[in-house]
Amino acid sequence: MVSNAGSPTLHMKAEMAVALTGITKRFGAFVANDGIDLAVRRGEIHAIIGENGAGKTTLMNILFGLLQPDEGSIRLNGEETVVTDPAVAIKAGLGMVHQHFKLVPSLSVADNVFLGMEICRHGLIDHAAQIARTRELSKRFGLQVDPTERVGLLSVGIEQRIEILKVLVRGARTIILDEPTAVLTPQESRELFQTLRSFVAEGMTVIFISHHLEEVMEVSDTVTVLRNGKRVATRPTAELSKDELVRMMVGREVSFDRRPRAPSQGDVVLEVKDLWARDDRRLPALRNVSFTVRSGEVVGIAGVAGNGQTELAEVLSGLRPASHGAARLKGRDLATLFPRDIREAGLAHVPGDRMVRGVDRNASIAANMLMGRQHRAPWSSSGVLNWTAISQNASRLIKDFDIRAQGPGDAVKRLSGGNIQKVVLAREFTNGADFLLIDQPTRGVDIGAQEAIHDEIMRQRAAGRAILLISVQLDELAALADRILVMFNGRIMGEVAGDGADEDRIGMMMAGVAAPERAAEPA
Amino acid sequence: MEILDKLVNVALIAATLRTTAPILLVALGGSFTTKAGIFNIGLEGQMLAGAFFAVLGSIWTGSAFAGVACGVAAALVFALVFAVLVVSFRANEVVVGLALNILAGGMTISLMKAIFGTRGSIVGQGIVGLPKVQLPGARAVLGSWAPLISGFTPIVYVAFIAVPLLVLFYNRTRLGLYIRVVGEKPEAAEALGISITRVRYIASLLCGLLAGLAGAHLSLGYITMFTENMSSGRGFMAVAILIFSNGDPLKVLAGCLLFGFADASSLRLQTFGYPSYLVLTVPYVVALTALFALSYRARPKIIAETLASMQRLLSTDRNTGPDGKHPL
Repeated sequence: MVSNAGSPTLHMKAEMAVALTGITKRFGAFVANDGIDLAVRRGEIHAIIGENGAGKTTLMNILFGLLQPDEGSIRLNGEETVVTDPAVAIKAGLGMVHQHFKLVPSLSVADNVFLGMEICRHGLIDHAAQIARTRELSKRFGLQVDPTERVGLLSVGIEQRIEILKVLVRGARTIILDEPTAVLTPQESRELFQTLRSFVAEGMTVIFISHHLEEVMEVSDTVTVLRNGKRVATRPTAELSKDELVRMMVGREVSFDRRPRAPSQGDVVLEVKDLWARDDRRLPALRNVSFTVRSGEVVGIAGVAGNGQTELAEVLSGLRPASHGAARLKGRDLATLFPRDIREAGLAHVPGDRMVRGVDRNASIAANMLMGRQHRAPWSSSGVLNWTAISQNASRLIKDFDIRAQGPGDAVKRLSGGNIQKVVLAREFTNGADFLLIDQPTRGVDIGAQEAIHDEIMRQRAAGRAILLISVQLDELAALADRILVMFNGRIMGEVAGDGADEDRIGMMMAGVAAPERAAEPA
Repeated sequence: MEILDKLVNVALIAATLRTTAPILLVALGGSFTTKAGIFNIGLEGQMLAGAFFAVLGSIWTGSAFAGVACGVAAALVFALVFAVLVVSFRANEVVVGLALNILAGGMTISLMKAIFGTRGSIVGQGIVGLPKVQLPGARAVLGSWAPLISGFTPIVYVAFIAVPLLVLFYNRTRLGLYIRVVGEKPEAAEALGISITRVRYIASLLCGLLAGLAGAHLSLGYITMFTENMSSGRGFMAVAILIFSNGDPLKVLAGCLLFGFADASSLRLQTFGYPSYLVLTVPYVVALTALFALSYRARPKIIAETLASMQRLLSTDRNTGPDGKHPL
């Protein structure tokens, strides 16, 4: 990695591309940033790492002028600057690639790149020139895009490249990326890192927000750790170990090891037999799937995303009809039940996409925790909701599940991803259901919250619940599951015991190669 | 055949262009606000105010063009009030639009009473209508087809020329692009330092400009008079066309031509002795039918989702029915 910090051509006071001093930002009683100092040297990749809700995004929004700090000052290239709005930041050579892309779907790639600074000739926009310039920049930094294509048709990975091009066209010398890898495939992430290295090779500066340890260790020169709105440390990456980093992030030790537990042989709660189902394109998504889940055990479903896991979860929760075969929950055929009846029959469902099926983001935490049981005592009687009980219950769950929020009246959309997931878990795990269908419980969730969620799942197991855990993260499955079923192309390729989980063997099955031996399935 | 000849001829097409012009202008005006992401239901009121003040201006100054300027100025004032309330104060656009429509209706009636002491309509009183532009050489080149391009008031030409200009405006100018971006993805505009407020104000005022012209065409174009509620729903028709065309100038033109054609043929149908009340519904029936046909194809997401979920439900029944286990 290139570091130009010592370059003699740079003026001393301009050695810091960005320097924040004592930045404080409050939202009501909640302190998002608490006196944060941050200095980013020119020509380095500076990672900012912290749990969800630690204040990373808030800090960057302040730096970029999207939010105004309550206290503190900002120096850009050594000059004291009041960043009243993003235009000031852009002018000072800052560029930000947001977590949520701000592209216009109906415009072409080139139009989006040049939006706000169009190349004009005779007062009309010169599309040809914009396309040529976009092509040139995309070549130079290895950001492959077709400048003429409409953005609405492109994938998320390409959208991110467009956002980066946008920032480059504006002449940014310091580029802020907010959780850039959250939406990328591992392959795309590697390409992104190469692009970032080519930036610092040209003397540019990169600020990189992440909660992904491996990435930060791999790509950054310096790390700043935030926790609960405060800065914990700023250290050169080379001096840090992963353990240290985790400790600083969460303020305690985290173990990825397999949880010890006693084997359990309870009654069969869920029985799936010869199940087939179609996906939205009417193509077979589940082929002849059979398995059982017993009370007190965690059955894991491993597989590359898109191999039928989503459809399996939907069939089991009554959201998708099975075309063949049967799924029985405590002996009752799910095909004859509506989603609500299935829940009444003993299903708790933590959906894979929490924003779509997990929560109503505009509703309060209390309302979200009520959903699905609003018709039952004590939450309502004779059709009238008892808000006192609802809100007391929500307050209790917020405490029990350590949800970082102001109170039960807080809108869910104001929470960070991990905390939203905890709201879903709190609701589903306290439902008294015998069968827990848990889909990607820790997607986009930081390590501290991850551990809390894992603990909670194991507590549910100890309480005798039957748990089906769908996850794309093998380490998560290895840590929690008693048995792991591997799905490929809608089929179950094989089964491995959780304690003997062998990454290579699972990997082979995930790629569609049948496992030589399959543990006998208890039936 | 004879009936068809009588029905469709040069005069009818010319009449179609004439009746299309006001609704086209007001719809093109609304295209600015639609593209900028404002649902502008106040077109009707802006048009009515434009019509009334155009008559007033032409009486005061004795000039038709000064009258048009007055009409446009009045519509701009309405558009400005709309923008202040909706853009700056974030008031609900439907409520504000409706309020301004009601205000325009009531204000024109009471001003008519106050100034002219009459109710119903202003006729004569020295109103100067717009001149008709005879294109030189049109008759020589096109012969009996000349009325298709010649002999309209200037505003008709403005309306039709505005269509390609707007296409160019949205695709090749900064302001046009910004209007689209502000409507489609305001957060993108904000992130790039494009002022949403400013762009929406400009869009509102451009809308007022064209709505005012449309109003002036109503009262100073082919009939030189003002009557109560003269715009008679054209502004709302334009709103409907805008919803289904998403403000695209060419689609707006197609929708307006359809409405104009139905309007012109209804006038013609009256000569066949059909009851006039029935005949007057023709344009609206045609427009509704067309909009229904269009909207069924490009039906809004919510309808599509409902249909899909109903299909899913039905297919569940089918799949589980035959094994006899299904209680439904």
